[in-house]
Amino acid sequence: MELTHQLELFPDCSVILLLFNHLKNAAALRKKAMEGSIEGALINPTMIVDPFQILVAANKAVHLHKIGKMKTRTLYAEIIFSLSPNNNISDAFKKFGISDSDTAVLIVLVVDREKTPNLEDITSQVEGQQVSLDELPQLTDTAKVKKMYKVTPQEEKIGTLLDSIVCRISTKDVL
Amino acid sequence: GISAPVVYFVDYATNSIYLEDIVGSTTVQDHINSVQQSGNDISSLLVLAEKMGELLARMHDEDLIHGDLTTSNILLRPPTEKLDLVLIDFGLSFISGLPEDKGVDLYVLEKAFLSTHPDTETMFKALLKTYAATSKKSGPVIKRLDEVRLRGRK
Repeated sequence: MELTHQLELFPDCSVILLLFNHLKNAAALRKKAMEGSIEGALINPTMIVDPFQILVAANKAVHLHKIGKMKTRTLYAEIIFSLSPNNNISDAFKKFGISDSDTAVLIVLVVDREKTPNLEDITSQVEGQQVSLDELPQLTDTAKVKKMYKVTPQEEKIGTLLDSIVCRISTKDVL
Repeated sequence: GISAPVVYFVDYATNSIYLEDIVGSTTVQDHINSVQQSGNDISSLLVLAEKMGELLARMHDEDLIHGDLTTSNILLRPPTEKLDLVLIDFGLSFISGLPEDKGVDLYVLEKAFLSTHPDTETMFKALLKTYAATSKKSGPVIKRLDEVRLRGRK
């Protein structure tokens, strides 16, 4: 049901993605995330076009975490910040993090490959239905995503929306 | 709006860039060679030249100078017949609006073209024709190209 991916550049790390629909307790979850009492990044799935987008952001966050150069205070906050095309941390949380009125949530965990993660800890706190990542495209708000990442029609003729997004995530600090 | 490998990750610690691998791609260089060797109809090469002209025109219109244009720095995504081009190796590129820089960019390609691929003058002519037709700023660029060609002759 969930998607697990081992990061090629950091083989001792695995990224796990869990998608929940028909969410009832978004506000409570957001509060827990702010308090730091939930071990995971709570992401708004309408801003995500493909799991790869998350992997690129997570890879960057893990890298910065390892070399002590994160811009935010936790790995999970850094993942959310990495998804944003700009350098405003609170804006990143507002746009990519979960909001009180959300009816779906994408939870991202980064775990040690050696350890078998206890997903129950997370899933038990979510009042919603866990669904397969295959359903993600149905939740994506493509127009909102294009606007956020400022993707031009010119670009779309050449590559996929995912390509445009990944480039912006990976080169954000270069430009 | 230019087809190039997607950048996946930039590692400032080790100064490395992780790029998309265009799986199963062929360089334009290898493609031209294989078409010429197999004695196949070279009209497809003229279409390829037109596509290249169009791609370079769009690149130069964004004031992007490649800096190392050769037929081995342009890839064809599979299936080759689709003539889906991908530009690679931007190690020498820079931004410039100057017709001189664009003219030199084309000149470098012309030299690389004609020295690597015999009998491709018609191909390059077709490339330039489409370049001129596609680019909004081609006039001064072609003029400079002619001047650079004259300078290059010993």
